Amino acid sequence: MPFLLASAVKDLRRRARDPLSLLLWVAIPLVTGLLLDLAFGSEGSGPSAHLLVADRDDSLVSGLLVGAFSQGELGELTRVEEVDAPAGRRRIEAGDASALLVIPPGFGADALAGRTSTLTLIRNPAQQILPDILEESLGLMLEAAFYLRQLARAPIALFSTAGLPSGAATYPDSTVASGAVTINELVARVQPYLFPPVIGLETAEPEPDARAERGFAELFFPGMVFLALLFMARGMSEDVWRERAQGTLRRAVVSPRGLGEFLGGKLLAGAVLLAVVGVAALLAGRFLFGLDLRGVALAVLWITFAGTAMLALFVLVQLHATSERAGDVLTTAVLFPLAMAGGSFFPFDVMPGWMAAIGRRTPNGWALDELSRILSGQSDLAGLAAAFAGVLAVAVAAFLLALRRLRSGFATGG
Amino acid sequence: MIQVESLRKEYDGVVAVDDVSFTAGAGEVFGLLGPNGAGKSTTIGCISGLLSPTAGRIRVLGHDVMRDSRSAKSALGVVPQEIAVYEDASAEENVTYWGRAYGLRGGRLRARTSAALELAGLGDRAREPVKRFSGGMKRRLNFACGIVHEPRVLLLDEPTVGVDPQSRVRLLDLVREQAGAGTCVLYTTHYMEEAESLCDRLAIVDRGRVIASGTLEELRTLTAERDLVRLTGRFDPAAVSAGLAAAVPGVEVVSTDAAHLTVSVEEGSRRLPALFSALASLGAEIRETTLTRPSLESLFIKLTGKQLRE
Ligand SMILES: Nc1ncnc2c1ncn2[C@@H]1O[C@H](COP(=O)(O)OP(=O)(O)OP(=O)(O)O)[C@@H](O)[C@H]1O
Ligand SMILES: [Mg+2]
Repeated sequence: MPFLLASAVKDLRRRARDPLSLLLWVAIPLVTGLLLDLAFGSEGSGPSAHLLVADRDDSLVSGLLVGAFSQGELGELTRVEEVDAPAGRRRIEAGDASALLVIPPGFGADALAGRTSTLTLIRNPAQQILPDILEESLGLMLEAAFYLRQLARAPIALFSTAGLPSGAATYPDSTVASGAVTINELVARVQPYLFPPVIGLETAEPEPDARAERGFAELFFPGMVFLALLFMARGMSEDVWRERAQGTLRRAVVSPRGLGEFLGGKLLAGAVLLAVVGVAALLAGRFLFGLDLRGVALAVLWITFAGTAMLALFVLVQLHATSERAGDVLTTAVLFPLAMAGGSFFPFDVMPGWMAAIGRRTPNGWALDELSRILSGQSDLAGLAAAFAGVLAVAVAAFLLALRRLRSGFATGG
Repeated sequence: MIQVESLRKEYDGVVAVDDVSFTAGAGEVFGLLGPNGAGKSTTIGCISGLLSPTAGRIRVLGHDVMRDSRSAKSALGVVPQEIAVYEDASAEENVTYWGRAYGLRGGRLRARTSAALELAGLGDRAREPVKRFSGGMKRRLNFACGIVHEPRVLLLDEPTVGVDPQSRVRLLDLVREQAGAGTCVLYTTHYMEEAESLCDRLAIVDRGRVIASGTLEELRTLTAERDLVRLTGRFDPAAVSAGLAAAVPGVEVVSTDAAHLTVSVEEGSRRLPALFSALASLGAEIRETTLTRPSLESLFIKLTGKQLRE
């Protein structure tokens, strides 16, 4: 067995004798995932409101109302599912959706005639924000419908006064078309005034088009994984102080195979553990969020590779601290900004543009972006190669600088 | 096999080793004898490649330790002063790992590992985690890790500190065996008796400098068979330096201050009464007297004016 492997095996054995911290590292992504899962519900379909609609009216107007929930920006936030009323109630009670909208029979006719009618919105008590959004949107829509009715008196009158031609189940296409065109134009004109809260919400999340296609898991999961990687890499980097304290680092310095393989073995052992944690994290993602495991093999490799680069980086930082305590502080001071800017706390998609631009240039941010692409099946060879080269460059530079520092007296406290 | 020429090592301006030169050959035990802080470990560190010298030149088997460090390191076995083993691994795992660090593998690695553990008297505890070892056992393991690859040059930095007398005898025997098999051993210690019983040649170091070197015989003659008398009490340094030699023929003042006086004299025990009365007439007050027979200790005192274990 070459010394490099022997060094890795030695470190793995030592880790195995300290299973608690090992367990902790594996638990970090699992627990984080579990907590997020509990916080956001497990639909596996993103931070979107799930609106059940029991349309007992089934008129043109109720159809328009329901349709409004799946249009434009609101549509990206809302998943509408038609149900019948009792089934809807049961599912809300089971916590299976954000809210249930019950449209009573005759709603359309009442609305067109200007008579009051009551809509019922049953909220899921376990959810906070999403039902709020639905309720507010609904309120606005009803208000809008009122003004719309004023503005569009003519086309609406067309529907109500003409009524259904006898024997026909629906309005003639021409009537619907002209009415719809007029109403659409009106809606387009007044929309900026009608949906301010929705628009306000969206400004915090640029690139709504790209985001719309991504689920919650895809948005947050890679960041979570990288948070775990960063914590783990930082934790493992402390080992250089243990090696120094017990004098074994000095032995490594004076042995001819010496430091390259000694340090390389440390990274290799770290890589093995990172791979294990990567697999655990991806499995957790699969079962908790229904994460699509399209690129799972590639994702594990990428997690391992990027995590090892982070480990090299943290080792380098440790080696430039004046004491173990200082190393602790220093690596923490590096970890949090890296995690924050690099998309581990907030996805790049919800960051202000300039911050995301910086974050994507941190080594972990770059690697994280690539992991997102791998997981969503959007990675291509050129992008992967570029990210690989970038992260590799960081890792190699960190390794060589760390080696230099080990040679220039870290072992002897100089 | 070891050549040290004008070695100098500074730590941030503090000179730890200053112009140290010596050579040691195959099958020889060369001693570096000196008190705490003399620069013994620093010298060993420079030879082993742990520290880079500020100036000077070191060769091991002809390889410059700076320029051709890999070859030099391959020839060396190092037993550091501070125990350097993995506490959470077994003794066997430790020795095997460091054997690999020197390129051993396969059957030879296994054979050498058990031989080194056997030599260190740890054969029956090989599989136990080092955590459970006593201090002396850890020290012997530290030794085993340094000799597993049968180095041609062995650097031992105070290997017997904190070892019980039995283990110590065993360790010293081990060192003799290594030298007997042709290994060049550099042995640092502040134990006079060890140096006297073990070393073929030695250098006495103090404050980074070699103050005397040679074979044991050569060093003994430096003391000129004179005894050392150390006195404590109250002295007038000026009067003592000026008047004592004239008052007692053959007496040589080695050092003196207001509370201490060290003199060298032939046949000290017979001259003590004369010494006392002369000192009394010089106004000195004597509280304690120690007489030391010629030895490395007395040489050291003669050279530095202080005892080795102060
Ligand atoms: N890393 C260091 N930084 C600064 N000074 C140091 C360092 N290591 C040793 N010294 C100083 O260098 C001098 C020589 O120390 P060294 O350890 O070589 O002595 P030694 O002969 O091995 O002593 P001991 O018998 O106590 O082991 C001492 O004055 C010590 O304080
Ligand atoms: Mg020392």
